[in-house]
Amino acid sequence: MAQQEFIIQRYDPDTDESYEESFNVDVQPGQTVLDSLNAIKWEQDGTLSFRMSCRHAICGSCAMKVNGQSMLTCQTQVDAAAERGDPVRVGPMGNQKVIKDLVVDVGKFLHQFERAETWLEPYEDQEPPEKEYRQKVEEFDHWSHASTCIHCGACYSDCTVAAVDENFLGPAALAKAYRFVMDSRDSKREERLQYLSETEGGIWDCTRCYMCVQACPKDVLPMDAIMELRTLAIEAGHTNNHGVRHHKGFTSGVRKRGRLDEMMLPVQSVGIGRLLTGNISAHKEMMDYTPGAIRLLKSRKLFAIAQRHGANAEGREQIQRIFDEVEAEKHHHDVDADAFGAEFQTAIGGH
Amino acid sequence: MSKYAFWPGCVARGAAPELYTSTLAVAEHLGMDLVELEAAACTGAGIISDGEPYLQDVLNARTMAMSEQMDLPLMDICSTCVGVHRLAAEKLRDVDYRIRINHHLAPEGIEYRGSADPRHLLWILLEDVGIDKINSLIKRPLEELNLGPFYGCYIIRPERTLDFDAHPTRRNSLEQLIEILGATTVTYDGMTKCCGFPILTMNKKNSLTMAGSHLDEAQSKGADALVTPCPLCHLNLDAQQPDAAKVIDRNLNLPILHVPQLLGLAMGLAPEKLGLTRHVVDTNRLLNKIGA
Repeated sequence: MAQQEFIIQRYDPDTDESYEESFNVDVQPGQTVLDSLNAIKWEQDGTLSFRMSCRHAICGSCAMKVNGQSMLTCQTQVDAAAERGDPVRVGPMGNQKVIKDLVVDVGKFLHQFERAETWLEPYEDQEPPEKEYRQKVEEFDHWSHASTCIHCGACYSDCTVAAVDENFLGPAALAKAYRFVMDSRDSKREERLQYLSETEGGIWDCTRCYMCVQACPKDVLPMDAIMELRTLAIEAGHTNNHGVRHHKGFTSGVRKRGRLDEMMLPVQSVGIGRLLTGNISAHKEMMDYTPGAIRLLKSRKLFAIAQRHGANAEGREQIQRIFDEVEAEKHHHDVDADAFGAEFQTAIGGH
Repeated sequence: MSKYAFWPGCVARGAAPELYTSTLAVAEHLGMDLVELEAAACTGAGIISDGEPYLQDVLNARTMAMSEQMDLPLMDICSTCVGVHRLAAEKLRDVDYRIRINHHLAPEGIEYRGSADPRHLLWILLEDVGIDKINSLIKRPLEELNLGPFYGCYIIRPERTLDFDAHPTRRNSLEQLIEILGATTVTYDGMTKCCGFPILTMNKKNSLTMAGSHLDEAQSKGADALVTPCPLCHLNLDAQQPDAAKVIDRNLNLPILHVPQLLGLAMGLAPEKLGLTRHVVDTNRLLNKIGA
């Protein structure tokens, strides 16, 4: 048994006071951070507040920040958290209002699932099956990772977009939405993809920072789900937004020069079509780039951008060939997918 | 002399030429022989894969195949590049997928065999060059400087892809470099977060709020400058800094250094040679502090 110091971030709503408090706990090998919080509460300070229930990484109640990173405290051993005998710092989850000590108001987090309507919408014109709605194993295998979410909020707590934007749907709700987009028993795939592309705080606001993938205790891979939603949304034709214009502009630049085209990308992201048709907000967005461009000019960076290096000639030729081949192969696969889709729909009887 | 297949990335060959020139300058002093992959394509930066994940994998398989063919380790100088290269390498461990992808490399007479281990210059400094060698080349210890690390997401997440278990020093590589060079590390919450650059053209307010709040936090904790292994972070933290200051309504004046610029300063190279005069946020006060 060894003594371990815990520094707990505390908040008293009655006095509106935030402070850190240090506790020393006798720690057994294998003891978790949650065990230690319980030891503090039971033996040292009964007023310490935190959420917990199952202690087996299933209920999702006990997510907190341990040394700055969000995780389930019941799944985190003190030995792993206390490197070099440093104190273990425990604080409430981020991006949410603290109610008391380590307890946050999860209302905003849960509201995102309601917004994204993350429940099954069966085909209404289909007779309910006698036993259960079935899903093919190979289909489920593709998205099963997204079905293991326990709504602990660790991803939302560490999300870099949720930190600056209340409107962002966030990794957990988007991963759950992906789960229903992929589910062949769900009838609202198209509506879902449209909503997720177009709503404020949807799939195109993610920064791809991998915080959620790192924080998730269940390997839901929320960011991977968001990225796949982007691909699916583009394929479904939901392309009238900055994210898709950015992707298309970026990709066409690489096709042409083998490298990112920094000169053209801002124009393409705003949208050449929007600019040519006199779209006022598009022109305003272009104007927003002017101060930045002047700064780049002053630091002689604009000159560097204008001189930007592409791949060499031989490289460009090969890169363009690859773009063309992949494009051709995609159409080939589309035909295959259509054939598979028709066969599948016949098998399940309609749609 | 240690030799590397060198992928500079698009931004070092475009908007951040100071990263490219400072890399070449320090490589020469360290005795590194860099063979630039001039025929290679952009990694796609996770943006091509928004709609075309397969295409992005083919482009990166091609770059990694080139390094295999040269029998040289692949070196990146951009957090995003190294992260995307490693994600591709991870997917391409699947033999069936590799066979499908290699189909597109065959006309060029190359094949990706799955052996690439793409690494960032920052890691190579610590893992190949080594602390002793760096120490022996320090002419101008940076003892006066308080420096905030700014990693850029892809060089620290996801940890599995970056092989942190086998290489635990990668977790705090920037702090190590800062301390080796004699400076003091300023730690702050934002140092491992997103700079906001990926969404600059999609959601400027969110993007610049991110950049601004990290800069403000580091500045208020006493950082003289930030150092970053990612030129995309550099664009948002340096070139966009005046706009970020407006968005968060704070005064910001925090120079942002690229990793090889910091190393070059400690090795006594001239600031002009390291491109330190080509930043948006003026570096003079910083340079005066160390007498450069």
